[in-house]
Amino acid sequence: MKHRVGGVSLDVEFRLTAPWTVLFGPSGSGKTTVLRAISGLVRPEEGRIVKDGQILMDSSTGKFIPPHQRPVRSAAQAAWLFPHKSVRQNLMYGSGWPTRPVQAMEIAEETMSLFRLGELADRSSVELSGGERQRASVARAVVSAVTFEGPGQALLLLDEPFTGLDAALRDELLTGLRDWLTRWKIPVLSVTHTLGEAFQLQAEVIKIADGRVVEQGPVETVLAKERERLLQQLRAE
Amino acid sequence: MDLEALWLTLRLAASTTVILLLIALPLAWWIASGRGPARALVQAIVALPLVLPPTVLGFYLLVALGPLTAPGRFLIHLAGHPLAFSFEGLLIGSILYSLPFAVQPLVAGFEAVDSGYIEAASGLGASPKRVFFSIVLPMARASLLTSAVLTFTHTVGEFGVVLMLGGNIPGATRTLSISLYDLVQDGNYAAANTTALALVGFAMVALVVMYLLPSVRRSDGRQADVVR
Repeated sequence: MKHRVGGVSLDVEFRLTAPWTVLFGPSGSGKTTVLRAISGLVRPEEGRIVKDGQILMDSSTGKFIPPHQRPVRSAAQAAWLFPHKSVRQNLMYGSGWPTRPVQAMEIAEETMSLFRLGELADRSSVELSGGERQRASVARAVVSAVTFEGPGQALLLLDEPFTGLDAALRDELLTGLRDWLTRWKIPVLSVTHTLGEAFQLQAEVIKIADGRVVEQGPVETVLAKERERLLQQLRAE
Repeated sequence: MDLEALWLTLRLAASTTVILLLIALPLAWWIASGRGPARALVQAIVALPLVLPPTVLGFYLLVALGPLTAPGRFLIHLAGHPLAFSFEGLLIGSILYSLPFAVQPLVAGFEAVDSGYIEAASGLGASPKRVFFSIVLPMARASLLTSAVLTFTHTVGEFGVVLMLGGNIPGATRTLSISLYDLVQDGNYAAANTTALALVGFAMVALVVMYLLPSVRRSDGRQADVVR
């Protein structure tokens, strides 16, 4: 896809094959715009986006499927919890199982427990701290992806899902979330500029800089240089 | 106090509020989410009753609802009688005259709901209709109430349009404000005072209700904090 936004001229082409793929790159490199284009919140000037054979967008034919009809669920970098709803109601908002409310609620409860939100379930979302809101926002997208009514699974897009959380909690949540999503076979594309996050997820990495894909492959290969640089810095200290 | 006029005024204000909200909700949402020259033109038309003398609006409506124009003839055919000097005619006039009071608070309320919430809901698979009713409208509910209260009280207090379009027919078009005018013309200041006090009471109650809404306003989009 090609798209110009702000000072960045985005021109990227990639294919997602791994269960969890990470878009890695510096701020302003166009990572968020890629996610927004896939979810349908941005209409690229040129390009084609396909998921499991279903064309979501094709500039040559003018096809553009609106966001709510795409097999894609997303959580933005900001939490955007609905302030007039409780944490539980926020998590249930995107449930795709309206005819199976009990099962959907079970998924929401399990996800809340995974994200350490159980005790906050009935609180108003405006009462939460910044970190709690961020966790609830990611959990909300996860519930929506897990309860997505096919065909196929929804692609889950997470924009810097754990930035700002303390390291211990982030590590715990990342591992728990990866296992939970693997269980439900939910493919993920997330954005990060945290090296540790990409390594911990053992994800496929798409390195992006100045709106271009620099490299794609296993984290050990693609981010080897960055890892080495970080280790040298740590040794020097 | 003329109780018949009071009842008519309340009936007119309630009907105007209900009908106008049904019109104003989609119109305000369109204005709030639109852009370009069409939006500016519609906004100007909606705001026109704010700056026009009510008698101008009343005069044009009198002509438009009469048998001289095609829409007027159609409406006469539909209603079975001329709409001018009738309750229905008064209702049409009130709807047009109070349009900005219903639409503008709603536009402000909708615009205050950050697009981040709308995008978040879309990203969870919610259709635009569901986003409007489950996110935008509840978050702008203080504006919805303001819109209803302003429309109701503005209709209670209107005079120029009513006089031009409805005249002064007891039980059909004589509202409280017209009744007050009559009483003053007759030199009946004591009764005029009672009627005027009732109108002041309406306005005061409405304003107190509007300013007593901090709990409703708390969940308005503009006051919800967001993690970035």
